[in-house]
Amino acid sequence: MTLNVLVVDDSAVMRAMIIKSLNLSGLPLGQIYQAANGEEGLRALRSNWIDLALVDINMPVMNGEEMIEEVRRNSELRDLAIIVVSTESSEARIEMLERHGTKFVHKPFAPETLRETIQKLIGVSDERQVGNGAAQSSGYDF
Amino acid sequence: MNDKLETVLLKAAVMTFEELGFMLPTPKLDESQQHATAQAAVGVQFRGLFAGELVVLVCGDWLPRLAANMLGEDEPPSLLQQFDALGEIANVICGNVLPQIAGPQVIFNLSAPCPVEIPQMAAIDPECPAAKTQLGLETGRAEVRLYLHSETA
Repeated sequence: MTLNVLVVDDSAVMRAMIIKSLNLSGLPLGQIYQAANGEEGLRALRSNWIDLALVDINMPVMNGEEMIEEVRRNSELRDLAIIVVSTESSEARIEMLERHGTKFVHKPFAPETLRETIQKLIGVSDERQVGNGAAQSSGYDF
Repeated sequence: MNDKLETVLLKAAVMTFEELGFMLPTPKLDESQQHATAQAAVGVQFRGLFAGELVVLVCGDWLPRLAANMLGEDEPPSLLQQFDALGEIANVICGNVLPQIAGPQVIFNLSAPCPVEIPQMAAIDPECPAAKTQLGLETGRAEVRLYLHSETA
């Protein structure tokens, strides 16, 4: 099984860092899609098979919270696995997001944190554990 | 200026430059760092319990290195990517500072980071930042300024 992942963040540099982190994670990745805001993210979800979305909160046009609410209202998308990757530190907002069935990764983050959160959320194996030997701990914090 | 605010700002800035920018900031500045000239600035506006702006000012020529570090590249990326990287630094500092000032239950909305013109910064400086800190970075420095506006959201 490979994971098709959507990365939604208004910063192209942050999207590149998240994708680099995914590539270092050793997870079995398929296609990686990118979007710069919630609206673009929803378009990508409607036109591609995506297993996991990594979503920022503060974005122009449509923020991450609005995008997640829209996903959960949509009968075809509502079961999507979502991880919020954000600088957000308000406990009230994090609790609100978790009520939507999302996990949360705080920026800056280590690739290991992202990998562990993905594994907990969707139960996917690390490629290294099945013998592909992809990535080692990078020592980077993103 | 409030010492506690400055401590919070300094800690968040150091953590962000280290963990996101892979740079090693120094709290004490040498002479060349103190005299480095302003090259660029980015601001993130916020609204919530109170409103304001967090500005990161680049003094010296470390911005290309910061962006290259964040992208894991050897060569400096485009100017657009350099500002994008600086904006993300400002965003992360801001996101980490606000709950420490206002408390963990308060929700703030942050704007997308925007470049700030250096002369414009001089113009808003008479407002006086609520807190300001500076870090040595390579042969220059980063100044992080927190402005609090009187009106609330």
